[in-house]
Amino acid sequence: MSNTPHSAASRPLRFITCGSVDDGKSTLIGRLLYDSKALMIDQLESLANSSKTARGPQSKEGQLDLSLVTDGLEAEREQGITIDVAYRYFATPKRKFIIADAPGHEQYTRNMVTGASKSDVAVVLIDVMKLDFSQPAVTLLPQTKRHTAFAALLGLQHTVVAVNKMDAIDFDASRFERVVTAFGELAASLKIKHFTAIPLSALDGDGVVAHTARSAWFQGPALLPHLESLVLDDAHGTSATAKAHVAVQWVTRDVSDDHLRWVTGDVAEAAIKVGDAISVFPSGATAVVAALRTGRGDTTTAEPGEAVAIRFDRQVDIARGDWIMAGSVSDTPLTQRASATLAWLDNAPLTLGRRYIVRHGARWLPARVSAISSRLDLASAEWQTGDGAGAEVKANDLVRAEIEFAQALPLAAFAESAARGAFVLVDPGTNATAAAGMIQ
Amino acid sequence: MTARDAFLSAPTITQTSVSNDHLNWLEDEAISILREVFGGFERPAILCSCGKDSLVVLHLAMKAAAPGKLPLPIVHIDTGHNFPEVITFREHLVKKHGLNLIIGHLDDSIKKGTIRLAHELESRNPYQTITLLETIEGNRFDAMVGGARRDEEKARAKERVFSHRDSFGQWQPRAQRPELWNLYNTRIAQGENFRVFPISNWTELDIWNYIAREDIELPSIYYTHQREVIERNGLLVPVTEITPPRAGETVITRDVRFRTVGDISCTCPVASTASSADEVILETITATASERGATRMDDRANDAAMERRKKEGYF
Ligand SMILES: Nc1nc2c(ncn2[C@@H]2O[C@H](COP(=O)(O)OP(=O)(O)O)[C@@H](O)[C@H]2O)c(=O)[nH]1
Repeated sequence: MSNTPHSAASRPLRFITCGSVDDGKSTLIGRLLYDSKALMIDQLESLANSSKTARGPQSKEGQLDLSLVTDGLEAEREQGITIDVAYRYFATPKRKFIIADAPGHEQYTRNMVTGASKSDVAVVLIDVMKLDFSQPAVTLLPQTKRHTAFAALLGLQHTVVAVNKMDAIDFDASRFERVVTAFGELAASLKIKHFTAIPLSALDGDGVVAHTARSAWFQGPALLPHLESLVLDDAHGTSATAKAHVAVQWVTRDVSDDHLRWVTGDVAEAAIKVGDAISVFPSGATAVVAALRTGRGDTTTAEPGEAVAIRFDRQVDIARGDWIMAGSVSDTPLTQRASATLAWLDNAPLTLGRRYIVRHGARWLPARVSAISSRLDLASAEWQTGDGAGAEVKANDLVRAEIEFAQALPLAAFAESAARGAFVLVDPGTNATAAAGMIQ
Repeated sequence: MTARDAFLSAPTITQTSVSNDHLNWLEDEAISILREVFGGFERPAILCSCGKDSLVVLHLAMKAAAPGKLPLPIVHIDTGHNFPEVITFREHLVKKHGLNLIIGHLDDSIKKGTIRLAHELESRNPYQTITLLETIEGNRFDAMVGGARRDEEKARAKERVFSHRDSFGQWQPRAQRPELWNLYNTRIAQGENFRVFPISNWTELDIWNYIAREDIELPSIYYTHQREVIERNGLLVPVTEITPPRAGETVITRDVRFRTVGDISCTCPVASTASSADEVILETITATASERGATRMDDRANDAAMERRKKEGYF
């Protein structure tokens, strides 16, 4: 059987569409699916039926309301809004895509975060009809800033700014440039190194698959060719000296020999190889990798992202929640207190000092947030310390906090390792997912 | 020009093949999700209809467990209205892999009085949920793995990989838990459970390519065979004891295959001469009707049908 590990080049590109309500996210996705023929006839017919009854305020007579492709829940169709993230699949001859269509309403930001955490690219939609061009500087909507901030903190690899509804302003190049300038300032304060802005009309299709006469002044690519060309780097942040880490998910016994134990989990940060010396967290036990298996069969190397089963050269005490770490115990420092960025998601606000349950890797353990050091102010897109920082932390707030775990863990900065740098905070009373955490 | 004509005449840029690497990526994602289930729950099970999607999940589960043995039972919700080929296949599968099979019989729910059919030949599909929930409760399952895919239908497109169900088995679409990275929040209170969907991100084309690559065995009705059918409302309705011809209808024999297997009373085949997974792929690429629309009579009723059923506890 073939044994090629998957490479970033050949896996699907996952992108999330973000922006405020009615910026045209659903229409854009409908357009992409329509133009790439990912819609099937019966879906199209059901669309034609719905378009007659529920019609968006700006949709034109006789045109399919493409936004109806993605609104999947009854409540969403009734209210004409998107509540939860919907996933869509389409492919071109060059690439496969997974789209997370995120809701624009502030109260559903948690669902946007869900989609963003598994995306490679943020496509930020900006509705030019909602912007005030009478002032010298264009001010972006708060929700545009919020979504961009979440995407930046979640470490998405690329940012694409889709400047939408250009048809409504006659594809005015100078207004487009002013939007780009405003976004440039936001990107700089959020430390987004690079972004690509594209003028388009999701409704009419200009700039989506190709540019048209109206947008011919624009020198850059259209959206779809741009997405097709983006290079993904799954080892982002990891240096040449990075060592393999595996969060242990499950341990089993070999059917052929009850004494042989196999330990399973996903490889992160660097490849793991037969013959590698490893240590185990928390026991500190050491061993050598004797055999490896992936879905493709036996192998001598498993790459980051591969789901692996590992057998060691000796019996080691190991269970779900432990970590397998290439190298010796001292190669991976353990930390109990850390600074982290928290994206607060629960309707119940954060209680400082309260005992929450945290999931890090496959391990559940208690933790508490001891202090808030700063919070992201959306108006200025800056982290503010001082008085305001300590106020109540509510749903959709982004804060930097001091967190204390019940036990020292093999933590890493999120920018260096998503596997060891991410955690979720759960309310032990309700089991609600309260926050997404990223170690700084 | 109608929307339909416009759509058909638009230039095609649909891809035609699935790379091996792409399948490996999907395979790894699914294996990882399955190991979360193996390691993270006390009493998990796999729901297996013997349809192609659940057979892919079963194949992935055996890979996720290998070289250990499959650590969980297989559950089949048996409506009693099965295509005989599917039951034969089920027995064959159990023997071949030494599976622990648990069957939830709809007939048992009817006997108990928890299901009351309006009439004897009524479609049993809508009632499956009741037997499913009774089977979950009776066995105290805390996680049920299923083969649903997000590209099948709008409500499914919104569902999490780990989908939380309350103690009545209900899905609450407006209160889904955030799902961050692969750090699944699998914590539940007494009596609650999860539905878990390891192949959420697979498309129909991915499924068929994987079946071809891995040589996964399917019930024979997935490939072309001759069958007596009636043409009714644009569907080919199979002639069976449960779905006899209506007055004035003509029975014809056609080369057909099924795209899903389900309750006899509401599953229709499509005309096809595809006799292997590779030939099905060729047909799938040119398919112009999405899977559920062409083959399931009950889903045609209305857009919100699936969402309502899911809220009640359906997969
Ligand atoms: N003029 C114009 N209207 C658009 C465009 N894209 C979307 N719209 C309209 O804007 C409204 C909101 O779009 P929708 O896709 O539902 O926004 P969402 O809330 O971001 O998903 C609808 O009435 C669309 O028809 C565009 O490019 N030009």
